[in-house]
Amino acid sequence: MGAWRLFKNTGDHISTALGLSIDDTLPLSLSAHGSPPILHLYIFKPSAIVGKYQDIEAALRLDRCRDRGVEYNRRSTGGGTVIMGPKVVALGLGIDIDQPGMRGGIRGIFETLSTVLMQALEDLGVEAAFVPKNDLVVEGKKIAGLSAALEAEKAILFHASLLVDFDIPLMLDIMNQPPLKMSDKGYNCFSQRMTTITEQLGHDIEMETVFRAIEVSFCNTFGSSLEIDEPDTWEDRHMREFTQRRYNNPEWIFSHKHPRSHMGSGMLKTPGGLLEIYLSLAGNTIERIMITGDFFSTTRDINLLESSLKWTSSTQQKIEEHLSEVWSDDMIYGLDVPTLTEAILRAKENALNPLQKAV
Amino acid sequence: MADIKGYDMPDELYYHEEHSWARIEENRVVVGMNDMFQKEAGDIVFVDLPDEGDDVEQGEVCGKIQSRKWIGKLCAPVSGEIIELNEELEDDTGLINQDPYGKGWILIIEPSDLEGELGNLMHGQDALAPFVDQEIQRTEEERAKA
Repeated sequence: MGAWRLFKNTGDHISTALGLSIDDTLPLSLSAHGSPPILHLYIFKPSAIVGKYQDIEAALRLDRCRDRGVEYNRRSTGGGTVIMGPKVVALGLGIDIDQPGMRGGIRGIFETLSTVLMQALEDLGVEAAFVPKNDLVVEGKKIAGLSAALEAEKAILFHASLLVDFDIPLMLDIMNQPPLKMSDKGYNCFSQRMTTITEQLGHDIEMETVFRAIEVSFCNTFGSSLEIDEPDTWEDRHMREFTQRRYNNPEWIFSHKHPRSHMGSGMLKTPGGLLEIYLSLAGNTIERIMITGDFFSTTRDINLLESSLKWTSSTQQKIEEHLSEVWSDDMIYGLDVPTLTEAILRAKENALNPLQKAV
Repeated sequence: MADIKGYDMPDELYYHEEHSWARIEENRVVVGMNDMFQKEAGDIVFVDLPDEGDDVEQGEVCGKIQSRKWIGKLCAPVSGEIIELNEELEDDTGLINQDPYGKGWILIIEPSDLEGELGNLMHGQDALAPFVDQEIQRTEEERAKA
Protein backbone atom coordinates (compact mmCIF):
# COMPACT_ATOMS: atom_id res chain seq x y z
CA MET A 1 0.00 0.00 0.00
CA GLY A 2 1.41 3.42 -0.93
CA ALA A 3 2.29 6.12 1.53
CA TRP A 4 -0.23 8.77 2.52
CA ARG A 5 0.81 12.36 3.05
CA LEU A 6 0.77 13.96 6.49
CA PHE A 7 0.46 17.74 6.89
CA LYS A 8 1.20 18.49 10.51
CA ASN A 9 1.03 21.87 12.27
CA THR A 10 1.52 21.17 15.92
CA GLY A 11 3.80 23.99 16.91
CA ASP A 12 2.02 27.13 15.82
CA HIS A 13 -1.68 27.53 16.51
CA ILE A 14 -3.10 28.48 13.14
CA SER A 15 -5.89 30.78 12.02
CA THR A 16 -9.28 29.45 10.92
CA ALA A 17 -8.66 30.85 7.43
CA LEU A 18 -5.41 28.95 7.01
CA GLY A 19 -6.55 25.68 8.61
CA LEU A 20 -9.82 25.49 6.71
CA SER A 21 -8.20 26.51 3.41
CA ILE A 22 -5.67 23.70 3.72
CA ASP A 23 -8.52 21.26 4.50
CA ASP A 24 -10.57 22.31 1.48
CA THR A 25 -7.54 21.73 -0.74
CA LEU A 26 -7.16 18.11 0.43
CA PRO A 27 -10.02 16.44 -1.54
CA LEU A 28 -9.30 18.70 -4.51
CA SER A 29 -5.71 17.53 -4.55
CA LEU A 30 -6.86 13.90 -4.64
CA SER A 31 -9.32 14.37 -7.49
CA ALA A 32 -7.46 16.90 -9.65
CA HIS A 33 -3.81 16.63 -8.71
CA GLY A 34 -3.24 12.89 -8.31
CA SER A 35 -2.39 13.05 -4.62
CA PRO A 36 -2.72 10.02 -2.33
CA PRO A 37 -4.90 10.53 0.78
CA ILE A 38 -3.77 13.44 2.95
CA LEU A 39 -4.14 13.64 6.73
CA HIS A 40 -3.93 17.13 8.23
CA LEU A 41 -3.38 17.34 12.00
CA TYR A 42 -3.23 20.76 13.59
CA ILE A 43 -4.26 23.13 16.36
CA PHE A 44 -6.41 26.22 15.83
CA LYS A 45 -6.11 29.53 17.58
CA PRO A 46 -9.08 29.96 19.95
CA SER A 47 -11.99 29.94 17.55
CA ALA A 48 -15.63 29.08 16.96
CA ILE A 49 -16.44 27.36 13.68
CA VAL A 50 -19.98 26.79 12.45
CA GLY A 51 -21.17 24.14 9.99
CA LYS A 52 -21.61 25.02 6.32
CA TYR A 53 -25.37 25.49 6.58
CA GLN A 54 -25.63 27.03 10.04
CA ASP A 55 -26.84 30.52 10.86
CA ILE A 56 -23.65 31.97 12.38
CA GLU A 57 -25.45 34.94 13.93
CA ALA A 58 -27.94 32.64 15.66
CA ALA A 59 -25.27 30.18 16.77
CA LEU A 60 -22.69 32.60 18.17
CA ARG A 61 -22.51 35.73 20.28
CA LEU A 62 -20.23 37.46 17.84
CA ASP A 63 -19.70 40.48 20.12
CA ARG A 64 -18.37 38.19 22.85
CA CYS A 65 -16.14 36.40 20.34
CA ARG A 66 -14.64 39.73 19.29
CA ASP A 67 -14.23 40.93 22.90
CA ARG A 68 -12.43 37.74 23.87
CA GLY A 69 -10.27 37.53 20.77
CA VAL A 70 -11.95 34.35 19.56
CA GLU A 71 -11.97 33.94 15.77
CA TYR A 72 -15.14 32.79 14.05
CA ASN A 73 -15.60 31.24 10.66
CA ARG A 74 -17.66 28.77 8.60
CA ARG A 75 -16.31 25.40 7.49
CA SER A 76 -17.31 23.52 4.34
CA THR A 77 -18.55 20.36 6.10
CA GLY A 78 -21.87 19.79 7.83
CA GLY A 79 -22.92 19.67 11.48
CA GLY A 80 -22.97 22.22 14.26
CA THR A 81 -20.67 24.67 16.02
CA VAL A 82 -17.31 23.54 17.35
CA ILE A 83 -15.13 25.51 19.74
CA MET A 84 -11.47 24.99 18.95
CA GLY A 85 -8.37 25.96 20.89
CA PRO A 86 -4.96 24.93 22.20
CA LYS A 87 -6.17 21.65 23.69
CA VAL A 88 -8.45 20.50 20.89
CA VAL A 89 -7.11 18.31 18.07
CA ALA A 90 -8.20 19.52 14.65
CA LEU A 91 -8.22 16.82 11.98
CA GLY A 92 -8.83 17.22 8.26
CA LEU A 93 -8.69 14.24 5.93
CA GLY A 94 -8.92 14.11 2.15
CA ILE A 95 -9.73 10.56 1.10
CA ASP A 96 -11.50 8.76 -1.71
CA ILE A 97 -14.77 7.02 -0.80
CA ASP A 98 -13.48 3.95 -2.66
CA GLN A 99 -10.25 3.82 -0.63
CA PRO A 100 -9.60 0.18 0.37
CA GLY A 101 -10.56 -0.22 4.00
CA MET A 102 -13.33 2.38 3.85
CA ARG A 103 -16.82 0.99 4.40
CA GLY A 104 -19.43 1.96 1.85
CA GLY A 105 -22.21 4.49 2.25
CA ILE A 106 -22.44 7.53 4.49
CA ARG A 107 -22.84 5.49 7.65
CA GLY A 108 -19.94 3.27 6.62
CA ILE A 109 -17.63 6.24 6.13
CA PHE A 110 -18.44 7.65 9.57
CA GLU A 111 -18.09 4.19 11.13
CA THR A 112 -14.68 3.63 9.54
CA LEU A 113 -13.23 6.99 10.52
CA SER A 114 -14.73 6.79 14.01
CA THR A 115 -13.05 3.44 14.45
CA VAL A 116 -9.69 5.08 13.69
CA LEU A 117 -10.24 7.65 16.43
CA MET A 118 -11.62 5.05 18.87
CA GLN A 119 -8.51 2.94 18.36
CA ALA A 120 -6.29 5.96 18.97
CA LEU A 121 -8.21 6.76 22.15
CA GLU A 122 -7.93 3.15 23.30
CA ASP A 123 -4.16 3.28 22.83
CA LEU A 124 -4.16 6.35 25.07
CA GLY A 125 -6.21 4.50 27.70
CA VAL A 126 -9.68 5.87 26.92
CA GLU A 127 -12.55 3.53 25.96
CA ALA A 128 -14.78 5.38 23.52
CA ALA A 129 -17.80 4.24 21.53
CA PHE A 130 -19.45 5.45 18.33
CA VAL A 131 -23.06 6.50 18.63
CA PRO A 132 -25.18 6.98 15.55
CA LYS A 133 -25.45 10.58 14.36
CA ASN A 134 -21.71 10.81 14.20
CA ASP A 135 -20.42 11.41 17.72
CA LEU A 136 -17.76 9.60 19.69
CA VAL A 137 -18.63 9.22 23.35
CA VAL A 138 -17.10 7.98 26.57
CA GLU A 139 -19.62 6.77 29.15
CA GLY A 140 -22.27 8.58 27.17
CA LYS A 141 -20.38 11.91 27.11
CA LYS A 142 -19.19 13.41 23.83
CA ILE A 143 -15.42 13.47 23.35
CA ALA A 144 -15.18 14.09 19.59
CA GLY A 145 -17.34 15.51 16.83
CA LEU A 146 -17.23 14.37 13.21
CA SER A 147 -18.49 15.86 9.97
CA ALA A 148 -17.89 15.37 6.26
CA ALA A 149 -18.67 16.54 2.76
CA LEU A 150 -18.45 14.77 -0.56
CA GLU A 151 -16.37 17.13 -2.66
CA ALA A 152 -14.70 16.75 -6.05
CA GLU A 153 -15.40 13.46 -7.87
CA LYS A 154 -15.29 10.71 -5.21
CA ALA A 155 -13.04 12.57 -2.78
CA ILE A 156 -14.43 13.53 0.59
CA LEU A 157 -13.32 16.02 3.18
CA PHE A 158 -13.66 14.61 6.68
CA HIS A 159 -13.38 16.83 9.74
CA ALA A 160 -12.99 15.81 13.36
CA SER A 161 -12.39 17.68 16.59
CA LEU A 162 -11.10 15.71 19.55
CA LEU A 163 -11.21 17.19 23.04
CA VAL A 164 -7.96 16.86 24.96
CA ASP A 165 -9.13 19.55 27.37
CA PHE A 166 -11.94 22.07 27.06
CA ASP A 167 -13.02 25.47 28.36
CA ILE A 168 -16.77 25.14 29.05
CA PRO A 169 -17.20 28.66 30.52
CA LEU A 170 -15.72 30.10 27.30
CA MET A 171 -18.15 28.05 25.22
CA LEU A 172 -21.10 29.24 27.30
CA ASP A 173 -19.98 32.83 26.91
CA ILE A 174 -19.57 32.84 23.13
CA MET A 175 -22.36 30.52 22.00
CA ASN A 176 -26.01 31.39 22.03
CA GLN A 177 -27.86 28.88 24.20
CA PRO A 178 -31.50 27.98 24.60
CA PRO A 179 -32.91 29.96 27.58
CA LEU A 180 -31.68 27.99 30.60
CA LYS A 181 -33.48 28.63 33.86
CA MET A 182 -30.53 29.04 36.21
CA SER A 183 -27.19 30.63 35.56
CA ASP A 184 -25.15 27.66 36.76
CA LYS A 185 -27.37 25.13 35.06
CA GLY A 186 -25.65 25.76 31.77
CA TYR A 187 -22.29 24.66 33.11
CA ASN A 188 -23.73 21.53 34.72
CA CYS A 189 -25.71 20.69 31.62
CA PHE A 190 -22.64 20.75 29.42
CA SER A 191 -20.22 19.17 31.88
CA GLN A 192 -22.57 16.18 32.03
CA ARG A 193 -22.62 15.93 28.25
CA MET A 194 -18.97 16.39 27.34
CA THR A 195 -15.72 14.86 28.45
CA THR A 196 -12.05 15.18 27.53
CA ILE A 197 -9.03 12.92 27.34
CA THR A 198 -7.54 14.79 30.31
CA GLU A 199 -10.65 14.19 32.41
CA GLN A 200 -10.75 10.53 31.49
CA LEU A 201 -7.08 9.93 32.25
CA GLY A 202 -7.03 12.08 35.35
CA HIS A 203 -3.86 13.86 34.22
CA ASP A 204 -2.53 16.12 31.47
CA ILE A 205 -1.33 14.67 28.20
CA GLU A 206 0.92 16.19 25.54
CA MET A 207 -0.84 17.10 22.29
CA GLU A 208 1.98 15.40 20.36
CA THR A 209 1.17 12.11 22.13
CA VAL A 210 -2.44 12.34 20.96
CA PHE A 211 -1.38 13.24 17.39
CA ARG A 212 0.98 10.29 17.31
CA ALA A 213 -1.74 7.88 18.47
CA ILE A 214 -4.01 9.11 15.67
CA GLU A 215 -1.27 8.69 13.07
CA VAL A 216 -0.57 5.10 14.19
CA SER A 217 -4.26 4.26 14.16
CA PHE A 218 -4.70 5.53 10.58
CA CYS A 219 -1.73 3.43 9.46
CA ASN A 220 -3.09 0.32 11.17
CA THR A 221 -6.64 0.75 9.87
CA PHE A 222 -5.75 1.41 6.25
CA GLY A 223 -2.51 -0.56 6.05
CA SER A 224 -0.66 2.53 4.88
CA SER A 225 2.26 4.61 6.02
CA LEU A 226 2.34 8.38 6.55
CA GLU A 227 5.05 10.62 5.22
CA ILE A 228 5.44 14.15 6.55
CA ASP A 229 4.89 16.59 3.71
CA GLU A 230 3.83 20.15 2.93
CA PRO A 231 1.47 21.61 0.35
CA ASP A 232 3.19 21.92 -3.03
CA THR A 233 2.95 24.92 -5.37
CA TRP A 234 -0.31 23.74 -6.98
CA GLU A 235 -1.90 23.13 -3.58
CA ASP A 236 -0.58 26.40 -2.21
CA ARG A 237 -2.27 28.29 -5.05
CA HIS A 238 -5.60 26.61 -4.34
CA MET A 239 -5.25 27.25 -0.62
CA ARG A 240 -4.81 30.95 -1.29
CA GLU A 241 -7.89 30.89 -3.53
CA PHE A 242 -9.97 29.24 -0.78
CA THR A 243 -8.71 31.79 1.73
CA GLN A 244 -9.72 34.67 -0.50
CA ARG A 245 -12.99 33.22 -1.81
CA ARG A 246 -14.20 31.71 1.47
CA TYR A 247 -12.45 32.16 4.77
CA ASN A 248 -11.53 35.84 4.54
CA ASN A 249 -14.75 36.66 2.71
CA PRO A 250 -17.68 38.03 4.78
CA GLU A 251 -20.14 36.71 2.17
CA TRP A 252 -19.00 33.16 2.96
CA ILE A 253 -18.71 33.65 6.72
CA PHE A 254 -22.12 35.32 7.04
CA SER A 255 -23.78 33.23 4.33
CA HIS A 256 -27.57 33.22 4.41
CA LYS A 257 -27.80 29.77 2.82
CA HIS A 258 -29.11 27.98 5.89
CA PRO A 259 -32.40 26.89 7.40
CA ARG A 260 -34.08 29.29 9.84
CA SER A 261 -32.89 28.90 13.43
CA HIS A 262 -35.16 28.78 16.47
CA MET A 263 -34.46 28.17 20.15
CA GLY A 264 -36.93 27.43 22.90
CA SER A 265 -37.78 25.42 25.97
CA GLY A 266 -40.75 23.54 27.31
CA MET A 267 -41.79 21.98 30.61
CA LEU A 268 -44.13 19.11 31.35
CA LYS A 269 -45.23 17.71 34.71
CA THR A 270 -45.26 13.93 34.48
CA PRO A 271 -45.72 11.01 36.92
CA GLY A 272 -41.94 10.55 36.70
CA GLY A 273 -41.17 14.16 37.63
CA LEU A 274 -40.81 17.53 35.95
CA LEU A 275 -39.40 17.36 32.42
CA GLU A 276 -37.57 20.36 30.97
CA ILE A 277 -36.57 20.37 27.32
CA TYR A 278 -34.19 22.86 25.70
CA LEU A 279 -34.20 22.84 21.94
CA SER A 280 -32.36 24.44 19.00
CA LEU A 281 -33.99 23.95 15.63
CA ALA A 282 -32.45 24.35 12.17
CA GLY A 283 -35.56 24.64 10.02
CA ASN A 284 -37.55 21.55 10.92
CA THR A 285 -34.48 19.66 12.16
CA ILE A 286 -33.37 19.24 15.77
CA GLU A 287 -29.87 20.68 15.92
CA ARG A 288 -29.38 20.47 19.69
CA ILE A 289 -31.54 19.17 22.50
CA MET A 290 -31.13 18.95 26.26
CA ILE A 291 -33.44 16.82 28.39
CA THR A 292 -33.32 17.88 32.05
CA GLY A 293 -35.61 17.92 35.08
CA ASP A 294 -36.07 16.23 38.45
CA PHE A 295 -36.72 12.71 37.17
CA PHE A 296 -34.58 9.62 37.81
CA SER A 297 -32.24 8.54 35.02
CA THR A 298 -28.54 8.26 34.20
CA THR A 299 -26.26 10.62 32.27
CA ARG A 300 -25.55 7.83 29.80
CA ASP A 301 -29.25 7.20 29.08
CA ILE A 302 -30.13 10.88 28.75
CA ASN A 303 -27.21 11.46 26.39
CA LEU A 304 -28.24 8.43 24.33
CA LEU A 305 -31.78 9.77 23.99
CA GLU A 306 -30.52 13.23 23.06
CA SER A 307 -28.05 11.81 20.57
CA SER A 308 -30.79 9.76 18.88
CA LEU A 309 -32.65 12.99 18.15
CA LYS A 310 -29.82 15.28 17.01
CA TRP A 311 -29.93 16.17 13.32
CA THR A 312 -33.27 14.44 12.81
CA SER A 313 -36.68 15.77 11.85
CA SER A 314 -38.76 17.35 14.63
CA THR A 315 -42.07 15.86 13.49
CA GLN A 316 -43.97 13.83 16.10
CA GLN A 317 -43.64 10.67 14.04
CA LYS A 318 -39.88 10.98 13.64
CA ILE A 319 -39.30 11.93 17.29
CA GLU A 320 -41.23 8.87 18.45
CA GLU A 321 -39.50 6.70 15.89
CA HIS A 322 -35.99 7.77 16.88
CA LEU A 323 -36.67 7.62 20.63
CA SER A 324 -38.19 4.13 20.26
CA GLU A 325 -35.04 2.90 18.51
CA VAL A 326 -32.97 3.45 21.68
CA TRP A 327 -35.67 3.29 24.36
CA SER A 328 -35.59 0.64 27.08
CA ASP A 329 -37.80 0.25 30.14
CA ASP A 330 -37.27 2.84 32.86
CA MET A 331 -34.61 4.80 30.96
CA ILE A 332 -36.38 7.68 32.63
CA TYR A 333 -38.24 6.22 35.61
CA GLY A 334 -42.02 6.55 35.27
CA LEU A 335 -41.89 7.98 31.72
CA ASP A 336 -42.65 6.60 28.28
CA VAL A 337 -41.87 7.66 24.69
CA PRO A 338 -45.21 9.43 24.03
CA THR A 339 -44.81 11.58 27.17
CA LEU A 340 -41.24 12.52 26.34
CA THR A 341 -42.32 13.29 22.78
CA GLU A 342 -45.09 15.56 24.10
CA ALA A 343 -42.56 17.55 26.13
CA ILE A 344 -40.25 17.92 23.12
CA LEU A 345 -43.13 19.09 20.93
CA ARG A 346 -44.02 21.65 23.60
CA ALA A 347 -40.46 23.03 23.45
CA LYS A 348 -40.70 23.06 19.66
CA GLU A 349 -43.96 24.98 19.79
CA ASN A 350 -42.38 27.55 22.13
CA ALA A 351 -39.32 27.82 19.89
CA LEU A 352 -41.42 28.48 16.80
CA ASN A 353 -43.88 30.82 18.58
CA PRO A 354 -41.91 32.50 21.38
CA LEU A 355 -44.60 35.10 22.04
CA GLN A 356 -47.35 32.53 22.64
CA LYS A 357 -45.42 30.48 25.14
CA ALA A 358 -47.29 27.42 26.35
CA VAL A 359 -45.70 26.05 29.52
CA MET B 1 -43.11 0.64 -8.66
CA ALA B 2 -40.11 -1.66 -8.45
CA ASP B 3 -38.65 -2.94 -5.23
CA ILE B 4 -34.96 -3.79 -5.51
CA LYS B 5 -33.48 -5.19 -2.31
CA GLY B 6 -35.83 -3.09 -0.21
CA TYR B 7 -35.37 0.11 -2.20
CA ASP B 8 -38.20 1.63 -4.20
CA MET B 9 -36.81 2.33 -7.69
CA PRO B 10 -39.72 3.06 -10.05
CA ASP B 11 -39.33 1.53 -13.52
CA GLU B 12 -40.32 4.60 -15.48
CA LEU B 13 -37.47 6.78 -14.14
CA TYR B 14 -33.90 7.22 -15.34
CA TYR B 15 -31.13 7.09 -12.72
CA HIS B 16 -27.71 8.72 -12.46
CA GLU B 17 -25.02 6.74 -10.62
CA GLU B 18 -24.78 9.54 -8.03
CA HIS B 19 -28.37 8.71 -6.99
CA SER B 20 -30.32 11.46 -8.72
CA TRP B 21 -33.33 10.45 -10.82
CA ALA B 22 -34.97 11.96 -13.88
CA ARG B 23 -38.61 11.79 -14.94
CA ILE B 24 -39.42 12.92 -18.47
CA GLU B 25 -42.55 15.04 -18.72
CA GLU B 26 -43.00 16.15 -22.33
CA ASN B 27 -40.19 18.67 -22.94
CA ARG B 28 -38.97 18.94 -19.37
CA VAL B 29 -37.19 16.70 -16.88
CA VAL B 30 -38.14 16.53 -13.20
CA VAL B 31 -35.18 15.71 -10.92
CA GLY B 32 -34.87 14.34 -7.40
CA MET B 33 -32.85 11.93 -5.24
CA ASN B 34 -33.65 8.22 -5.15
CA ASP B 35 -34.96 6.09 -2.30
CA MET B 36 -31.59 4.44 -1.73
CA PHE B 37 -30.00 7.83 -1.11
CA GLN B 38 -32.69 9.07 1.27
CA LYS B 39 -32.66 5.85 3.30
CA GLU B 40 -28.88 5.87 3.54
CA ALA B 41 -28.59 9.61 4.25
CA GLY B 42 -31.32 9.83 6.89
CA ASP B 43 -33.27 12.99 7.65
CA ILE B 44 -32.42 15.76 5.21
CA VAL B 45 -31.50 19.01 6.97
CA PHE B 46 -30.91 21.44 4.10
CA VAL B 47 -30.87 21.59 0.31
CA ASP B 48 -28.56 24.17 -1.30
CA LEU B 49 -29.99 24.74 -4.75
CA PRO B 50 -28.79 26.60 -7.85
CA ASP B 51 -30.73 29.50 -9.33
CA GLU B 52 -33.46 29.25 -11.92
CA GLY B 53 -31.96 30.05 -15.30
CA ASP B 54 -28.63 28.36 -14.53
CA ASP B 55 -27.30 26.00 -17.18
CA VAL B 56 -26.00 22.60 -16.08
CA GLU B 57 -24.14 19.77 -17.80
CA GLN B 58 -25.00 16.11 -17.35
CA GLY B 59 -23.21 14.84 -14.23
CA GLU B 60 -22.37 18.36 -12.99
CA VAL B 61 -22.89 19.08 -9.31
CA CYS B 62 -25.84 21.46 -9.27
CA GLY B 63 -26.73 21.35 -5.59
CA LYS B 64 -25.67 20.17 -2.15
CA ILE B 65 -27.76 18.20 0.33
CA GLN B 66 -27.04 18.06 4.06
CA SER B 67 -28.22 15.12 6.13
CA ARG B 68 -27.04 14.91 9.71
CA LYS B 69 -23.37 16.02 9.49
CA TRP B 70 -22.83 14.88 5.92
CA ILE B 71 -23.02 17.11 2.85
CA GLY B 72 -23.67 15.21 -0.36
CA LYS B 73 -24.03 16.19 -4.00
CA LEU B 74 -26.98 16.60 -6.32
CA CYS B 75 -25.70 15.73 -9.81
CA ALA B 76 -27.70 16.84 -12.83
CA PRO B 77 -28.91 13.70 -14.64
CA VAL B 78 -29.22 15.63 -17.91
CA SER B 79 -27.86 18.84 -19.41
CA GLY B 80 -30.02 21.91 -19.86
CA GLU B 81 -31.45 24.97 -18.15
CA ILE B 82 -32.93 24.86 -14.66
CA ILE B 83 -36.42 26.25 -15.09
CA GLU B 84 -38.06 25.52 -11.73
CA LEU B 85 -37.11 24.76 -8.12
CA ASN B 86 -39.30 23.03 -5.56
CA GLU B 87 -39.99 25.93 -3.19
CA GLU B 88 -41.77 23.67 -0.69
CA LEU B 89 -38.37 22.25 0.26
CA GLU B 90 -37.49 25.62 1.81
CA ASP B 91 -39.98 24.90 4.58
CA ASP B 92 -39.82 21.12 4.70
CA THR B 93 -36.77 19.23 3.46
CA GLY B 94 -38.36 16.13 5.00
CA LEU B 95 -40.40 15.81 1.79
CA ILE B 96 -37.32 14.20 0.19
CA ASN B 97 -37.47 11.48 2.85
CA GLN B 98 -41.24 11.10 2.93
CA ASP B 99 -41.95 11.15 -0.80
CA PRO B 100 -38.71 11.12 -2.84
CA TYR B 101 -40.46 10.63 -6.21
CA GLY B 102 -43.45 12.85 -5.52
CA LYS B 103 -43.56 15.93 -3.30
CA GLY B 104 -39.82 15.57 -2.68
CA TRP B 105 -38.83 16.46 -6.24
CA ILE B 106 -36.02 19.01 -6.27
CA LEU B 107 -35.82 20.85 -9.59
CA ILE B 108 -36.91 20.82 -13.21
CA ILE B 109 -34.53 21.02 -16.19
CA GLU B 110 -35.36 21.99 -19.77
CA PRO B 111 -33.06 19.48 -21.48
CA SER B 112 -30.69 20.44 -24.28
CA ASP B 113 -29.76 16.96 -25.53
CA LEU B 114 -32.17 14.48 -24.01
CA GLU B 115 -31.95 11.84 -26.71
CA GLY B 116 -28.18 11.88 -26.71
CA GLU B 117 -27.87 11.67 -22.93
CA LEU B 118 -30.57 9.21 -21.83
CA GLY B 119 -28.34 6.31 -22.80
CA ASN B 120 -25.86 7.37 -20.12
CA LEU B 121 -28.45 6.83 -17.38
CA MET B 122 -29.69 3.58 -15.80
CA HIS B 123 -33.22 2.56 -16.70
CA GLY B 124 -35.22 -0.55 -15.86
CA GLN B 125 -34.60 -3.40 -13.44
CA ASP B 126 -31.92 -5.06 -15.58
CA ALA B 127 -29.71 -2.00 -15.27
CA LEU B 128 -30.65 -1.04 -11.72
CA ALA B 129 -30.44 -4.40 -9.95
CA PRO B 130 -26.67 -4.82 -10.52
CA PHE B 131 -26.09 -1.19 -9.44
CA VAL B 132 -28.03 -1.64 -6.18
CA ASP B 133 -26.35 -5.01 -5.60
CA GLN B 134 -22.93 -3.47 -6.09
CA GLU B 135 -23.61 -0.65 -3.63
CA ILE B 136 -24.89 -3.07 -0.99
CA GLN B 137 -22.12 -5.59 -1.57
CA ARG B 138 -19.36 -3.02 -1.10
CA THR B 139 -20.78 -1.99 2.26
CA GLU B 140 -21.13 -5.59 3.42
CA GLU B 141 -17.61 -6.52 2.32
CA GLU B 142 -16.02 -3.69 4.21
CA ARG B 143 -18.14 -4.42 7.30
CA ALA B 144 -17.03 -8.05 7.18
CA LYS B 145 -13.37 -7.00 7.02
CA ALA B 146 -13.72 -4.77 10.08
